[in-house]
Amino acid sequence: MATALSTAAPGQHVRSTERVVRAKRSTPFSYATLIIVSAVLCVPLVFVISIALSSDQTVNANTFTIIPREFHWENFTRVFGTELPMQRFLLNSVIISAGAVAGQVLSSGLVGYAFARLRAPGKNALFIVVIATMMIPSQITMIPQFLLFKELGWVNTYLPLIVPNFFSNAFNVFLVRQFVSRLPSEIDEAAMVDGLGFFGIYRRIMLPMLAPVLIAIGIFTLTATWGDFMGPLIYLNDESKMPLALGVQYITSTSQALQAPPWNLVMVGSILLTLPMILVYYLGQRYLYEMDISGGSAGVK
Amino acid sequence: MSMLRRREALWFYLFASPWIIGFVVFLLGPMIASVYISLTDWDSFTAPKWVGLDNYVRLLTDDPIFWKALWNTFYYAAVSVPLGLVIGLWLANLLNKGVRLRKLFRTLIYLPTLVPLVATAMIFKMVLAPSGPLNDALGLFGIPGPSWLLESVWVKPALILLSVWGAGGATVLLLAAMKGIPRELYEAAEVDGAGPVRQFWSITVPQLTPIIFFNLIMGLIGAFQVFSQVYILTKGGPDNASQTMVPLLFNEAFSFYHMGYASAISWLLFAVILVFTLIAFRTARRWVFYETEVK
Repeated sequence: MATALSTAAPGQHVRSTERVVRAKRSTPFSYATLIIVSAVLCVPLVFVISIALSSDQTVNANTFTIIPREFHWENFTRVFGTELPMQRFLLNSVIISAGAVAGQVLSSGLVGYAFARLRAPGKNALFIVVIATMMIPSQITMIPQFLLFKELGWVNTYLPLIVPNFFSNAFNVFLVRQFVSRLPSEIDEAAMVDGLGFFGIYRRIMLPMLAPVLIAIGIFTLTATWGDFMGPLIYLNDESKMPLALGVQYITSTSQALQAPPWNLVMVGSILLTLPMILVYYLGQRYLYEMDISGGSAGVK
Repeated sequence: MSMLRRREALWFYLFASPWIIGFVVFLLGPMIASVYISLTDWDSFTAPKWVGLDNYVRLLTDDPIFWKALWNTFYYAAVSVPLGLVIGLWLANLLNKGVRLRKLFRTLIYLPTLVPLVATAMIFKMVLAPSGPLNDALGLFGIPGPSWLLESVWVKPALILLSVWGAGGATVLLLAAMKGIPRELYEAAEVDGAGPVRQFWSITVPQLTPIIFFNLIMGLIGAFQVFSQVYILTKGGPDNASQTMVPLLFNEAFSFYHMGYASAISWLLFAVILVFTLIAFRTARRWVFYETEVK
């Protein structure tokens, strides 16, 4: 095989399946390993479904099995009943995430475009500041921000979780700037000659072309906000305002001292928390791949 | 400057204004405030009392819990990040062999990383229960499993286990990078008689070092800021054996209203992250391989 490879003339077409180098050939051992690893990684997920489908008696007796034995599908409708404000949690999650995504998409495109295309004194220095802010951990600003929002009377509202997103963030500015830099500048120069102003260029020419990077930013923001636990924990103390990520935890922490938390319903909540993420990833993975690779390697060098 | 250039500059600052305002209001202002607060004793209701460097001195010389949290955070980061990367690399290499059903395996390995952290914590609360599936599995091999989250020796390994469950995130990135390695390198190595193991260590790994390095830095920064798992699963217990920096900071600030003390912790956390990032960059010259440097 090896000699056949080296003697093949460069122009000669050899089917790629015949040219698999030895290091890339799979063995029964690699299949066995992959099957075992995948199975082990999936056990917790199957276990969650099993718990979500179990009856209240099983919960109280704590006799869960990994493979589902009972199928109480009504648990999925029960959580929307009156005993738990699960539909409220879900709605809050949607409101907060939608606001955050809208804010990031609107602001990041504009700022990123400015840094990539418009010329102004002080721009380069400002961009170094953008990059530098990526290194500041959010814990440093957490306490003063809390005090600021407390002064504004925004504690126990959605606003502290949504409004900061309308001011973009360094990572997203960087992503858009890198993306715009790769677009040919003749397009906007031509538009300029045609008499379109800077905002017109952004609105009519840039925005449609920015769709992939803005979708990626939307997905990043959605994933981060949807799963965010610490932000809601700091700012929201009213049960009716909590998003799902906090609500699920809240249910387990407030049940009666002698009674086990309703684990089956908690796990239904966890599934409701997870499913949209799987869906979003499935629908948007090609955008994520593109951004991860280009953003990732550019960030290191 | 011409009219046109001046107008362009104006538009630049107009377009960039969301970030500039956000930077001043949500980052620069709070950072300066944080420095000041860290030098005071303040419960956020009464007037702050200036104490100078007292908070820092107390943290570093007179607070065994802070040192314990620092050690735990370090332990967690030092084990979970390299372990996750090694497992991620190992799985990526397996997937990179021409296996059938690669997409299926890749999806199954990646699935855990899509589960939000709160849900992951809920799942592991059950998985790691004293009579949970993990201990059942250990029981099959005759090993009496510990009560993970309730024992101070086992609580950190338990949290590491939770983080390793998400090793698939690195796998997907590394797999994408592996596809980009020129196959000529492998063919040449094969002609020279190098086996699969040798090829893995001499071609795959060196070619991937930039991605591994990126994951290492991001992983370390993330691990030093671990919060949700600890807060939900253990609250830092038992006996502070799983207390880490951010949950400690959170408690000081929002349970005890020690705003000054908590701000000082946040700056020390920043210093720790900075030191480790710098160390990683320092050593990078020795092991991270950039193709462009050679040419």
